[in-house]
Amino acid sequence: MSGDASGESPTGDVGGDGNAPADAPIIDETLRRIERAQRVRRLLMGVGLLILGGVTAAGLTFIGFNLADLTRTFPNFLSSLWDFMPPDFVDFTTYTSENDIRGPRAVYESLVRPGTLVESLAEQEGLVGLSVITIAIGFCGTVLGFPFALTFGVLGSERVVPFPFNFVFRGTMSTIRAIPALVWVLIYIPLAGLGPVGALLAVATDTVGNLGRLFTDELEEIDDGPIEAIGSTGASDPQRVVFGMLSQVFTSFIAWTLYIFEINVRIAVSLGVVGAGGIGMYIQQRFFGFLEFGKGMAAIIMVIAIVLSVEMVSSRLRARLRPSEHESKGFLDALGELSDSDKWLGTRSKE
Amino acid sequence: MPAVSVQDLTKTYGEGATALEDVSFEIEKGEFVVVLGPSGAGKSTLLRILNGLTTPTDGSVVVSDEEVRGRRSDVAMVFQLHYVIESMSAYRNALTGALSRTGLLDSVLTWYDGDDKQTALEALDTVGLLDEADQRAGSMSGGQQQRVGIARALVQNPALLLADEPVASLDPKAATEVMGYMRSAAKERNLTTVASLHQVNIAREFGDRFIGIRDGEVVFDGDEDALTMDAVDGIYYGEGGDDPMEVPGR
Repeated sequence: MSGDASGESPTGDVGGDGNAPADAPIIDETLRRIERAQRVRRLLMGVGLLILGGVTAAGLTFIGFNLADLTRTFPNFLSSLWDFMPPDFVDFTTYTSENDIRGPRAVYESLVRPGTLVESLAEQEGLVGLSVITIAIGFCGTVLGFPFALTFGVLGSERVVPFPFNFVFRGTMSTIRAIPALVWVLIYIPLAGLGPVGALLAVATDTVGNLGRLFTDELEEIDDGPIEAIGSTGASDPQRVVFGMLSQVFTSFIAWTLYIFEINVRIAVSLGVVGAGGIGMYIQQRFFGFLEFGKGMAAIIMVIAIVLSVEMVSSRLRARLRPSEHESKGFLDALGELSDSDKWLGTRSKE
Repeated sequence: MPAVSVQDLTKTYGEGATALEDVSFEIEKGEFVVVLGPSGAGKSTLLRILNGLTTPTDGSVVVSDEEVRGRRSDVAMVFQLHYVIESMSAYRNALTGALSRTGLLDSVLTWYDGDDKQTALEALDTVGLLDEADQRAGSMSGGQQQRVGIARALVQNPALLLADEPVASLDPKAATEVMGYMRSAAKERNLTTVASLHQVNIAREFGDRFIGIRDGEVVFDGDEDALTMDAVDGIYYGEGGDDPMEVPGR
């Protein structure tokens, strides 16, 4: 190694600078120092990986994870998956369940009779009606949570409320986030019962914690310049917040809200599983109560369709939000990357 | 009665670091003054004090018979990096100059006073952007954005227009264009203007009067005729002339 280093110094001489030979020992020394640092770093990395592996192994033992057990039950699992087939859409609309139209044919028979979709919607029954309940919980929960998320998010920013006081709002949001939506829905039982209304409140509450936090983070990263410029016009403090700060983050706030909407629809599905209505509850009943796995599978396919379409709509909207973004070299473009991959998804399949 | 009067202005930061020392001058109404000096000489500090964004350690600034003690809507500033709001149109950006005269709700809902709307469009006309009024500022070129910044300052109906290195981040062509618009806007309105610049040739082309600052002190104050090559060297490299070509280091 050190032979390499000394071999380099004569080439430095060609420049005729005259001081290259004098630097040779320094080059050797630098090389040694860099390599020593590298060895230390590799050693530390090795130790770190060992610790990571050890902790994971301890955790798995603690939980009772056992590969042998899983191998024993695996064939069983595979045959139970077979029970999911074929997906049975008999409950797609009230029309199909009343006329006992089964399998994927139920979807077709309903779609060619649009009236049956409306009927199912009006009666809030069938996969169509239940799906709309779930989407409505996610959508309305986002809308109801938004103003509070905005208020708490803005007041939580150190740039709006000075340091110790902004933690009142940050702390509130952290507390809300610490409690999962699945627990919020239980907390709201005395207020709204266990149903779609409770789910709506749970989703709205969750939105305040999550979306508000994203708003606060976004505000920490904006430019000081426009804030100062607006201030220099003699604008009032609230005007400085609105024009200097919020105007910079307007599009990204909307983009984050759409992203949270996607997540909220998924949360609405899981809230159904604990009994708060919608398509999640249908799935739970098929699997635990009636053991009707084909129907359960149909509902799972329905959930996939809902979540994918919500994602597609949301990412389309987000892509729209950034018009001539190519010219302004904002960091926010990084966010736009999300929509790029989805644009690609959008061209592939359009429901 | 001078439009602007600066008396014994001193600004020190923390321990010992002096940005300005005993700076005094007066400016007549409608004068277009260019502040010259090497980076770190104290040009920005001087402009920020004139605008009330920075508080001086000692001394005073009087604009239209009133001492500057904080941000004032009748002292307008054009910033180096324009700092316009990219998500808003040129028109709405210009209107932000009227914020101090408009309530919060009215300004959020764009319910500005009719006169202010008129003033905003006139200001955009002055900087040659009337046709682009409803264009998004973020999609404009750097020069155009800076002109929007000037329009915003004009809408403030200022008694004093300040510009801190307004063309430092523009290419030479855009820089000349922007300075041209600023000068004609100021002359049209008989507006007292103080602009800091580091390009001597641009300064010479647009200024009425030049104030040279070095190490926080005024080392030159005069018109174009007085601003000889020697005077410029004096501002940038000190009197007695260290060799301007000398590069520190070897």
